[in-house]
Amino acid sequence: VSASSIGRLVMLFLVRWSRYNPYYLEPEPRKELYNMPETELTTEQKEERELKAVRPIKATTNSTTSSVFNDPVLSKFVNMMMRDGEKILARGILTQTLESLKRKQVEKYHKAPQGKKAEIECNPYAIFHQALENCMPVIGLASIQKGGKFYQVPVPLTDNRRRFLAMKWMITECRDNKNRRTLMYEKLSQELLAAYSKEGNVIKRKHELHKMAESNRAYAHYRWW
Amino acid sequence: MEWTSSLIVPQDSIKSNWLIPAPPKVLSRQLCVSSALHRKNLAAAGPEKFSEEFIKKQVEEYNIGKRHLANIMGEDPETFTQQDIDRSIAYLFPSGLFDKRARPLMKVRPEFLPGQLKSVQWGADGRPFHFLFYTGKQSYYSLMHDTVAKVLAAEKQQVLLLSEGPVPQDTKPISLVGSRWLLKEELEELLVETISDHDYARFIQLMERLLSLPNCLSEKDFVQRYRKQLEIQSSKQQVAPLQYDENGVAYSTADGRRKTATCTVLLRDCGSGSISINGRDYLHYFPVLQDREQLMFPFHFLDMLGRFDGQCTVGGGGRSSQAGALRLAISRAMLSFLSEGQVESMRQAGLLTPDPRVKERKKPGQEGARRKFTWKKR
Repeated sequence: VSASSIGRLVMLFLVRWSRYNPYYLEPEPRKELYNMPETELTTEQKEERELKAVRPIKATTNSTTSSVFNDPVLSKFVNMMMRDGEKILARGILTQTLESLKRKQVEKYHKAPQGKKAEIECNPYAIFHQALENCMPVIGLASIQKGGKFYQVPVPLTDNRRRFLAMKWMITECRDNKNRRTLMYEKLSQELLAAYSKEGNVIKRKHELHKMAESNRAYAHYRWW
Repeated sequence: MEWTSSLIVPQDSIKSNWLIPAPPKVLSRQLCVSSALHRKNLAAAGPEKFSEEFIKKQVEEYNIGKRHLANIMGEDPETFTQQDIDRSIAYLFPSGLFDKRARPLMKVRPEFLPGQLKSVQWGADGRPFHFLFYTGKQSYYSLMHDTVAKVLAAEKQQVLLLSEGPVPQDTKPISLVGSRWLLKEELEELLVETISDHDYARFIQLMERLLSLPNCLSEKDFVQRYRKQLEIQSSKQQVAPLQYDENGVAYSTADGRRKTATCTVLLRDCGSGSISINGRDYLHYFPVLQDREQLMFPFHFLDMLGRFDGQCTVGGGGRSSQAGALRLAISRAMLSFLSEGQVESMRQAGLLTPDPRVKERKKPGQEGARRKFTWKKR
């Protein structure tokens, strides 16, 4: 079966399609990668460069830049927080969150005794990444039908899925269990700090998922992939 | 009514077995065939077949005739094209016939051009030239035969080398990155034969197997014949030459589009770094940080942040699409100031591709492009 016929079949059955031909490759906006001299490249990178030279490349999205402040994880988080296409509001909330994280940490830093000062992390980006990593589940559950019943089967998760679950739990937690008077960025910074020190509701939810997976480990053989 | 004589001769070579009855002996007689039957038989014979020497003779005669015609017209025989031939014939043999196909013509039959038609594959005695003729796809099977011979030779050589001592093998001696396998249609064109999808898949499988062997460097030419070089994408970029105004300052203009927003940009190599959009400063026009980031993206990527002075006009679309259109226009305008390596890195960063995403249309029976109407049970 030729490649073109496979492509056409795929077009018929999948609903999620793209305006780009599948021949197009993803763009690479970071500028450090283009300044590396020939000698520092591995064979894989050299091959990738040769491939990129002959293939057309997609256009970079609106939220990506070559700036050092551009973070794909943060962009994804902003998009997930966004409602009704209000990106400005979502991004504003995130900026306020990072600012309030910084303020709280700096306050702690100044109040702490000399010995403890080095342990306090003041970089809000580092806190955000570490908190997300602490929230990411290691194993997940999948609903598999066998013999007419649906079983919750423990299943390994991909990195993207784990990151998505961590961010989703964080956002839903902040939206649902928020006091009426507290603002979103306030609650989010509290949750992030709690997750950074491995406390809080999101971490609890992660542990519950792990416990469920552990208890259902008898059904692990139902997974066929 | 047409009369055709045909002779049905009993097969003397078949020895009649006492179990099998002998075939009936039919004497030769005239067969009366109607014109309708005769027409059917012609169609059943298939397309007209020509022998190799006939085709060669026709092409030679055409070439000689072309040279004669050029001499007649007083032109150079070496540079006499088909268009000149048509012109000369129309001049020498003027025809008032309405149907263009009925006018005199001097052309090689399109089937006789190389790679179009298979000449008759058997000689006057009826014996085919190629030993694989009776497979039906002789070029395909002979190609597979040759490739398998090469694979076996390479494996034998590998065994010999291994018996001498363990040799460090480098992965992929033949580089595959800048080329692709010929498509099924292209292979059919090369072989002048139709092959099935299964045949094509087997061919590709066999070639991949040949390439997986370590000592296949000697077969590089053979493999390259069945691979097509992909053209380098950066050569497709059209870079306008740099223009200079009266003060000697270099400038360039470019357009950009994104969704419904269109814009034009004039970049001047001043050294000020100020950008004005529709007469207003960019800080006033784009109060949102994301749009300003998009505007500065091409400058920041090439480390030319304060170098250029921009005058832009933008219209249509929303704030985000206007920013995207400006980004594309700025990247295009900057191309004339850059070296080829920088152009290629801009292209790989995704700055030079126009974004094809547009608003998806609403479909009938649905509320929006994707949203369906509320499902009601009854």
